Amino acid sequence: MAADHVAEPLLKVEGLVKHFPILQGILFKRQVGTIKAVDGVNFELYPRETLGLVGESGCGKSTVAKTILRLEQPTAGAAYFEGRNIFEMDKREMRRLRREIQIIFQDPYSSLNPRMTVADIVAEPWEIHKGEGPKNQQRQRVENLLELVGLNPDHINRFPHQFSGGQRQRIGVARALALNPKVIICDEPVSALDVSVQAQVVNLLEALQDELNLAYVFIAHDLSIVRHISDRVAVMYLGRVVETGTEHDIYDIPTHPYTQALLAAVPVPNPDRAGTKRVILEGDVPSPANPPSGCSFRTRCWKAQDICAQEVPELVDRFDHGHPSACYFADTKVGAVVGASDEAETE
Amino acid sequence: MKRVVTDAGPAARESVEGVDFDPNAPLLEVTDLHVEFRTRAGVVKANDGVSYQLGKGETMAIVGESGSGKTVSAQAVMGIIDTPPGYVTNGSARFRGVDLFQLPESERRGFRGEKMAMIFQDALSALNPVFRVGWQIAEMYRQHRGASKSEARQKSIELLDRVKIPGAKERFDSYPHEFSGGMRQRAMIAMALALDPEVLIADEPTTALDVTVQAQIMKLLADLQAETGMGMILITHDLAVVAEVTDRAAVMYAGRIVEEGTTRQLFKGPLHPYTLGLMNSIATPEQKGTSLIPIPGSPPDLLHLPTGCPFHPRCIYAQAVCAEVRPPLRDLGDHRTSACHFAEEVAEVGR
Repeated sequence: MAADHVAEPLLKVEGLVKHFPILQGILFKRQVGTIKAVDGVNFELYPRETLGLVGESGCGKSTVAKTILRLEQPTAGAAYFEGRNIFEMDKREMRRLRREIQIIFQDPYSSLNPRMTVADIVAEPWEIHKGEGPKNQQRQRVENLLELVGLNPDHINRFPHQFSGGQRQRIGVARALALNPKVIICDEPVSALDVSVQAQVVNLLEALQDELNLAYVFIAHDLSIVRHISDRVAVMYLGRVVETGTEHDIYDIPTHPYTQALLAAVPVPNPDRAGTKRVILEGDVPSPANPPSGCSFRTRCWKAQDICAQEVPELVDRFDHGHPSACYFADTKVGAVVGASDEAETE
Repeated sequence: MKRVVTDAGPAARESVEGVDFDPNAPLLEVTDLHVEFRTRAGVVKANDGVSYQLGKGETMAIVGESGSGKTVSAQAVMGIIDTPPGYVTNGSARFRGVDLFQLPESERRGFRGEKMAMIFQDALSALNPVFRVGWQIAEMYRQHRGASKSEARQKSIELLDRVKIPGAKERFDSYPHEFSGGMRQRAMIAMALALDPEVLIADEPTTALDVTVQAQIMKLLADLQAETGMGMILITHDLAVVAEVTDRAAVMYAGRIVEEGTTRQLFKGPLHPYTLGLMNSIATPEQKGTSLIPIPGSPPDLLHLPTGCPFHPRCIYAQAVCAEVRPPLRDLGDHRTSACHFAEEVAEVGR
C-alpha cells in the first residue's frame, strides 16, 4: 500500500467502533443489548483519491461516515485528519475540521430546506463559518458554484421544488464545495436518482475531483458505480472491513468469500452472459445486535470451518499483494465461489 | 367437516366460470391503453396508448424511469388504480380473449389473485402490519376458495415452504415486522402464488433489497415460473436485471412504449435513442477511467410534455421534425418496434 502512496494519508481511521445501546423501559431506561454498528474499522484516504465503501444495508457504512464527522460520538478508536485526532478535538478545532470535510447525502429531497432559495442554501456554510465566505461578492461566488456544478446561475433565486432530483443533488454538491473542503464524504449520492441521471452526477463528481483536487469517501451499494469512480475499495460486512484493495484487486481478484459472493450477485447487463456463474448467497445479513461469534460472515459462508466460529480473522495481507483480506481461507481463485453451499438459510 | 381446498368457494366459482375464454388468444394482450390522472394541476396522461402481449411461460420486462408510466400500466391491467383521480379512458386488456375492462367489478375480483397476481416493491407496506403473515396468506384460500381455517393454515405453510422461508411452521405466526426484507418479499410472493395465477406482475420486486438478497429473490421467481409456466411481467428500471431474466422487453418513456423487442435484440442494437442512452449510461468495467455517457437533461414533467417526440429535448439525434411530429411506434421487422423517426440511423450507431 505505502509504495503506491508517497503522500501522507489525509484521513486515517483506526479501530473505529460505534455501538448503539438498546434501551428498554419507560421511566428508567436500562440497556438490554448493544447494536454493534461499527466494530473495528481501519482505512486510509490519500489526497485526490476516491475510496469506495461498499456493503449491504446495515453493514455500518453510513455510521462510519457520520462518526468521522462526529455527527455520532464514537465508542472507541481514532480518526486522524492530517495527523490530528478528530475525536480529541475541541469545539474550535471541530469547526475548522468541518470546513475541511464535507458531506453529500443520499436524498436530495430531504437534505435541502424547502423554504430556502438556492442562493441561501449554497451560501449557508458561510453564515455558519463567518469570515470564511467571500467578503463582498457572495452572490457572484454562489453563481460561480452553480455554474461549476452544471446548473444555470440564473436559477439562483429558485426553490428546491423547482428542480429535478439530479439538479437537487447538484445543489447539494455546490453547498458542499462552498467552503473549499479537502475531503467530501458522499453517502449514496446517486442511489435516489434515475438511471439516466446517475451518470451525470458521477461524471460531475469525477470532474470536480480533477479540478479541485478533492478526496472522496464514496459510500454506495451499487457495485458497478463504485468500481467506476473508486481508486481503492473497502468492502464492509456487519461493522467490519472484510477486504480492502485497489479497484482492480477487489473486482478482479477478490479473496474474501463475501466479496466474491457479493460480486457474483450483481446482475450483468448482458443477456449473453446472464446467469452463467451466479452464486446465490443464502440467508440474510445477521442482526448487528447479536452477531455470530468469530467471523461474522461464517453463517453464510461455504468455506467456514471450526476456527471461523472461534476467532475473528484479522484484516491482514495474506498474499503479499498489498491487498488485505479478513478470511482464514482467503483465495484468489474466483472459481472457488462455484461450490457455494446449498444449506438451509440461517437467520 | 372436511372439504377439499381445490373445490372453489361460491364467490370464486361464479365469477370466473361464467366467462368464456378464447383458447387461441394470447395469455394477456393489452391494446392501446390510455390512463389519465385528473389532478388539480391538470390532466396527466400516465399511459398514452400502451400495447403489449404476454405469452404463457414468457417473461417480459417493462423498463422505464420513475414517471414513465410502467407501474400505472400494470395497475390498470390489475384494476387497482385509484379512481378518482385515475381513469382508464381507452383501450383493452384481454386475458385469454376476455376484455377485463368490460367486466363488472364483481367479476374482475375473481380474476385478481385467481388468474393474475401482483407483487410490489415495498413488501412492508404491502403486508398488513397488524395481522400475522401466515394469516394474511391463508386469507387467499378462505376468501377465494372457501377453505376452512385449518386447511387454509396447512396450505399457507406449504406455500411459505415453497418460497423457501426457513421454519415455515413457526414463521406462520410471525408479524411482518419480524421478517427481514427478503423474507417479507418471499411472503408476498407466496401470497401472490397462492391460487396458481397464470400471470404474475412483479413491480420492482428487488429494488428495495440488498444485492445478495436480490439475487435470491430473482432466482426464486425464475424457479417458480419454470415450475408453474406462468407468464411474468417484470417492471423495473434496472437494465442488468432485465438482461438476466427476461425474454422480451418494452421500454417506456413519458407514458408510451418507445421500443420493444427480445431482450437480446435490445441489448445488441437498440433502435431508440432513449434505449441507447440508458445502455450507455451503465457503468461497465471497460469504461473505467473515462467519463460515463449520460443522457442529458432529466425526465419530462408529464403535465408539460415537450411537443412532438417527448424525448427530443434530451436526444442527440433530434432534428427539426422531432419537435413537431410525435413518432408512432413503427414495426421494423423481426418482431421489433421503435417510436423514433430515425430508428434506422440509431440502429447503425447502436451496432
